[in-house]
Amino acid sequence: MKMAFPHMGNAYIPLRSLVENLGAEPVVPDRPHRGTLERGLLHAPEFACLPFKVTLGDCLNALDKGADTLAMVSGMWACRFGYYGRVQHMILRDLGYEFQSVLFGGERPADIWNKLKPVVGWGAPRKAAGALSVFRAKAAAVEEVEARLRELRPREVRKGESDRLASRLLRRLDEADTLRKVRMLRGEAREALAEVRCREETDDILRIRLVGELYVLLEPALNLDLVRRLGSDFRIEVQPVLSTYKWLLCSLWLDPRLKVEAVKARRLTRPYLPYVLGGEEHMTVSGTLTARREGFDGVIHAYPLTCMPENICRTLLPKICRERDVPLLSLCFDEHTSPVGVTTRLEAFIDLLRSRRLSREGKRGSGAYAVPAAATAPWD
Amino acid sequence: MGDRADSVDSAEGKRDSRLRVGVPRALAFYRHYPFWRAFLEGCGCEVIASPPTDMGIMRAGTEACVDDICVAVKALFGHAAWLAEAGVDAVLVPRMVSVEKKPYDTFTCPKLIAAPDMIRHGMPGSPEILEFVVDAKRRPWWWGCLSLGRRLGASPCRIWSAWKHGVDEQGRYEGMLRTGMMPDDALRRLEGGVEEPPAYLGQGRVAVGLVAHHYLLGDPLVNNRIVRWLHAAGARVVGSSKFTWCEIEEEADALPPLSWSYEKELLGSVARFMRSGEVDGVVYMTSFGCGPDSMIMEMVRRELRPRWKLPLLEIVLDEHSAEAGIRTRAEAFVDRLPARSVN
Repeated sequence: MKMAFPHMGNAYIPLRSLVENLGAEPVVPDRPHRGTLERGLLHAPEFACLPFKVTLGDCLNALDKGADTLAMVSGMWACRFGYYGRVQHMILRDLGYEFQSVLFGGERPADIWNKLKPVVGWGAPRKAAGALSVFRAKAAAVEEVEARLRELRPREVRKGESDRLASRLLRRLDEADTLRKVRMLRGEAREALAEVRCREETDDILRIRLVGELYVLLEPALNLDLVRRLGSDFRIEVQPVLSTYKWLLCSLWLDPRLKVEAVKARRLTRPYLPYVLGGEEHMTVSGTLTARREGFDGVIHAYPLTCMPENICRTLLPKICRERDVPLLSLCFDEHTSPVGVTTRLEAFIDLLRSRRLSREGKRGSGAYAVPAAATAPWD
Repeated sequence: MGDRADSVDSAEGKRDSRLRVGVPRALAFYRHYPFWRAFLEGCGCEVIASPPTDMGIMRAGTEACVDDICVAVKALFGHAAWLAEAGVDAVLVPRMVSVEKKPYDTFTCPKLIAAPDMIRHGMPGSPEILEFVVDAKRRPWWWGCLSLGRRLGASPCRIWSAWKHGVDEQGRYEGMLRTGMMPDDALRRLEGGVEEPPAYLGQGRVAVGLVAHHYLLGDPLVNNRIVRWLHAAGARVVGSSKFTWCEIEEEADALPPLSWSYEKELLGSVARFMRSGEVDGVVYMTSFGCGPDSMIMEMVRRELRPRWKLPLLEIVLDEHSAEAGIRTRAEAFVDRLPARSVN
């Protein structure tokens, strides 16, 4: 069985090992890029959200690489993500591809077991326990590298050094096959990243919280590499409220702390949204509510066009941000979003945050943001 | 009721002691208004429905709302703004969380679930909001009526009789919908005055099934009077609002389960229209940016259409769609229908 799954940021690293350790052969499509999106666009419904189109392109790439089984998460939620698998696989079958589909959550567990039995076979509980522990360790290692990377990017002396280092480490992590190797690599990564040379003067680094739709936050191909660019080019420390680790492990009940975090977020969100909408709206609203208190200078809300839960958050966020006195930038992504448009908005937003911070510290009118004399009255 | 100036006058001048409750003519209005009206009046309120959507309301809604949400929510914002301006004491915004009890989770659209929150937190100068929660999955649906009635200060006995009256009115309304007329026409006939059935239900060269949410079928400004254009081109038009839940369930049981109840209704209606052979073609109408419909349309296209090979026209509406465009497409669709019956 050659099993494939769509990409989402670095989720492929733990997922590949999970599939491999269960006894199937994982097929990982190429990292998504513009071409993947355009391939998905050709066959996707017109106003389905952007993740649908990218993951459809991923499935096409995987099938071309020889996959014979496509796995997807599915469920009966109010958000349309629950129907991705069903509709995508229908589209792919209409295109003439033949494959088996495994929809976790959308089918009865007995059906899924029947499909997986020939591969996993007897001794499944033991195999599954081993596979899940490697999966968890890899996910945690990826999470640590990513978190450290977001701190290092604005601070490093040689721009891009930590990124190069991290991509090397992640590649090795992807190749590691036992729990011991993963643990060793995690320690090694910690040491290697600690040795990256940092600037002395780091007080001026702004902190921005990133909230919004899961896939847009995590997939660099979709958010035009927002997280890396904010860190390396704009020298800003970014903290997304969601991560691959949180998403993968929370639903599998592999880390109870994440459940506690989700319950707390729901409680914070309740005055604004008392009912569950099926997406990550609780993380968006609670992340914005706590941003100021946790020392962030601003909030960026990123979501794909027509995303239902995030659109509702988009209606609520301006009021929340006014109440909590925190600046907000909403970025809506679709297949026509241009990198230049996003950069312009980011530049303007960051200028605003800088001058806001300077005026808070009582430095307005001096330093870099003083208005040049010539610019005040050009007609004189 | 009445026009804007009248309502504002009565708010300032001859104000009686009853609570004036506004009902925005959007979203679930076209499904449940007769019930709400009877229920609210039974609880001792004066009910003021906003007028049918016009350009002014639509413009106000578009300005007050975020850009990439569906046209129906923008209309809701416009109607709520109209009611706020008309000086009502409170606006009834129902929260339809789930409308059927099933072994699996059921929902309506997230925008219907969060409609009161969006108005409360997202609209500048939002009026006082009366919530009416329908969460059939977790609570029986009279629970919402009871808590709304208590909030209005009515006694349980009064709530009970108001509820019974509401159910009767709703029954009359749904009986009218069964004939296939559009929700707005049924509401007009319920108010009295008009007796004869609408022209589009009469004779036609062909029959067309119009499938859409109630709030699109019933809003001639949003759907650009598509019913009229289909009829003018020579078709008898039947709305998808005519099917009962039993009929829908019957069709939906043959399809994989869906957690969106209203979308299951659309899917079931298309299947029913196609299977029964009562129509020669189906027009599927949706609003741009409708989340569930983007998936359902694909299911209609790929699961239902190949089975029955009935002509299908898909129309996507937003606040910019123009009557001429809709008319051209309606005419072209009706014109090519007879070709099929010859084969």
